[in-house]
Amino acid sequence: MSKIWKLFINENIKTWKKLSTKIMIIVAILAIIGTLGLVKIMQRTSGNVVIADSNDNWKKSIQQEMNYMEEQLKNDELDEATKTSYEQQIETYKMSLEYDVSPWKMNYWKTNLIQEISNLKIQKNNLLSENELKSIEERISKLTEKLEQNDFDGYIELQKTEQKTQLDNGEISEQEYKDKIEVLDITKKSGIGKESNDPYWKQTLITEIETAQASIRTNIDKETSKVLTVEKKQEYEDLIKIDKYRLENNIAPSTYSQSYKAIFEILAPMFGVAVIAIIVIVIAGGTISTETSTGSIKFWALTPNKRWKILTAKILSVLFYIIVLTLLISIVTILISNVFFSNTEMGEQYIYVENGKIKVIESNLFIIEQYFVKMIPVVVFVLFAIMLSTLTRNSATSISFSLALYLGNGIVMSIINSFIKSEWIKFVPFNNLNIFDKIFPNYTSPINFSMGTSFTTTTSLTFSLAVLGVCAILMLVTTYDSFNKRDII
Amino acid sequence: MANTVLEIKNLTKTYGKRKIIDNISLEIKEGEIYGFLGPNGSGKTTTIKMILRLIEKDSGIIKVKGYDNKKEFEKAMQYIGAIVENPDMYNYMSGLDNLKLHARLRNVDSKRIDEVLELVGLKDRAKEKVKKYSLGMKQRLGLALTLLHKPKVLILDEPTNGLDPAGIKQLRDILKEIAHKEGVAVFVSSHILSEMQQMCDKIAVINNGKIVKSEDITHIEQTEEKQSFEETIEIKVKNVEKAMEILKEKFEIQPKLVEGNINITILSDQIPKVVKELAINDVEIQAVVPKEQSLEDIFFDATKGGKKDE
Repeated sequence: MSKIWKLFINENIKTWKKLSTKIMIIVAILAIIGTLGLVKIMQRTSGNVVIADSNDNWKKSIQQEMNYMEEQLKNDELDEATKTSYEQQIETYKMSLEYDVSPWKMNYWKTNLIQEISNLKIQKNNLLSENELKSIEERISKLTEKLEQNDFDGYIELQKTEQKTQLDNGEISEQEYKDKIEVLDITKKSGIGKESNDPYWKQTLITEIETAQASIRTNIDKETSKVLTVEKKQEYEDLIKIDKYRLENNIAPSTYSQSYKAIFEILAPMFGVAVIAIIVIVIAGGTISTETSTGSIKFWALTPNKRWKILTAKILSVLFYIIVLTLLISIVTILISNVFFSNTEMGEQYIYVENGKIKVIESNLFIIEQYFVKMIPVVVFVLFAIMLSTLTRNSATSISFSLALYLGNGIVMSIINSFIKSEWIKFVPFNNLNIFDKIFPNYTSPINFSMGTSFTTTTSLTFSLAVLGVCAILMLVTTYDSFNKRDII
Repeated sequence: MANTVLEIKNLTKTYGKRKIIDNISLEIKEGEIYGFLGPNGSGKTTTIKMILRLIEKDSGIIKVKGYDNKKEFEKAMQYIGAIVENPDMYNYMSGLDNLKLHARLRNVDSKRIDEVLELVGLKDRAKEKVKKYSLGMKQRLGLALTLLHKPKVLILDEPTNGLDPAGIKQLRDILKEIAHKEGVAVFVSSHILSEMQQMCDKIAVINNGKIVKSEDITHIEQTEEKQSFEETIEIKVKNVEKAMEILKEKFEIQPKLVEGNINITILSDQIPKVVKELAINDVEIQAVVPKEQSLEDIFFDATKGGKKDE
């Protein structure tokens, strides 16, 4: 053991005395700085975008549209349906102008309210029953009252009572009522749609919650229209919890994130890992082959150390280099993210449910976790490069082949997978590289950027790790066997 | 009697159908400089690589200080210091750093590093990067690396490559010192006979994977006491026929005519008399040169000797 340790120390001394090692670290750091520049440019350009519908614009265009529709209504040839929709539209626009609410702000509660009133007004024209007419009148007046008083909470309460009546009338089930009330409570608490510039993602999450609720309630997956499995049900329950947490704490999912800090914290690990991967594959592809071709392998082979010890030290030193480089780059990313972005911006957090409780990985820790988890599949390629390096004893072949495989496996596998639909395709190691997606299933990347990690298959994390592990062991056995038995010439 | 430190028995190696090494047996004792002589491609380096297990042998036994180099590889290698082909160092590191790498593996302290650097005469330039070294300096650093752990067996493959005459002499002195004073067994391969003659106590000649001749070298300084030994000299004269006659009559030997020069083999104390006699008889002597036995001659002799035995 102590012999391997000494060989390992020697390998590290050798690595760190090399100029190329230092240059490669600088390249990796430059990649992170480059990402920072990219995000900063994004930030600057988006700041310059002029908001298209300013106050007067929407009024003007609404007026134009109204005029056109009124003109059309005078025309007798118009069919009934179009007529009704025109009338409704005009009604909405009129109210919009009256209360100064843009009809295009879909998330704004007043917009929705106006829409509802105008719907009711149109309905009023068609109804015959006295009772119904009365209830609609009543409802319109209540809604108008809330609108005039600018009473958001009151509007929600009104919706609640409406749900209650529906429950009393037997129109909806007990469970559905509970779900609806829950959603309304969240809306009220988080003030979703209370302001006219409320971000869009909140409404999306509300819809997501509603879909999840409906799926659990009916036991049918609303997305796929299949019967809900136990796992999928658990997933939906967790999703509801997470979405509620996001709404309560105002944390946007990364897909809709407005924080440039968060965007940087997502992009940097992506580029960073790609650059680190290329660097370590180049180093791994050269480990054995450069030493055998220059003859410096004899430097070690002539010491009283068995060959497998020498090889072990070499492999360990490559792995150690990967860990050091990854840690270094993740720290650099954390530093840059904290120095160049303001503290008010929220970083990228990971939210998940464990034993029914919400857990949050803070952004700094999540950066490190992103890096290390994304490096797991890279290690497989590194072992592949070491194997080729030992077998071919040619750096150019082993480096270029491993790199090509790393960069191109996604494309190749997506082509192969589209042709072969058999079950065994899941055993192909390249279909199991998406470890990150499996460890962080709730993570949705804002950019669909697949490099090294290919598309998702339905296999579990344990399965994927097992496939990669078997693959790694086979490659290691080949490497050791070749290195032990072949002559050093 | 001195102990055997490196023992090779019936070593054989085949590549395809060709026997690279054919049943070689050697014994090298403590304090002995053993020359391994042969032309290029005769199997010198292959034998050395098999001792060091860079190449696996097909059959045979190799023992270093009694340890089998296959079963107890690490123990056997502890006693060995070796340079094979070119000394292999890391060019981007200094000579000292290279030594330190080895020192860590061999549990050697920095004092010994200084000693070794002193011995090979690299102390002043130890901190320079190896890529700035000349080939000779690299050879010397390589020697320093092998001597670091005070090996019992020193194996050097063509150590004089790239060395200038002064360097060769220095190497010779170092090897003689560690062999004769510290009792290290030195196993040196080379294809240059004269080098071997000056350096070695014993020589084995290898050709086509077989040892064709193995003998103790009679050193000049050792044989001086005996007053005389046989030596071949080449005499260049103007009057060849007359000289031949004189030599036949007065010294009763059979001179050979090689490319117009007279070659005779004679006891060394007779040489002045030969010269005097020729001079007296007006044979104009242009040159008297001691004739070195070439590698080819040795092979020739060896094979001829072999035929006689049959």
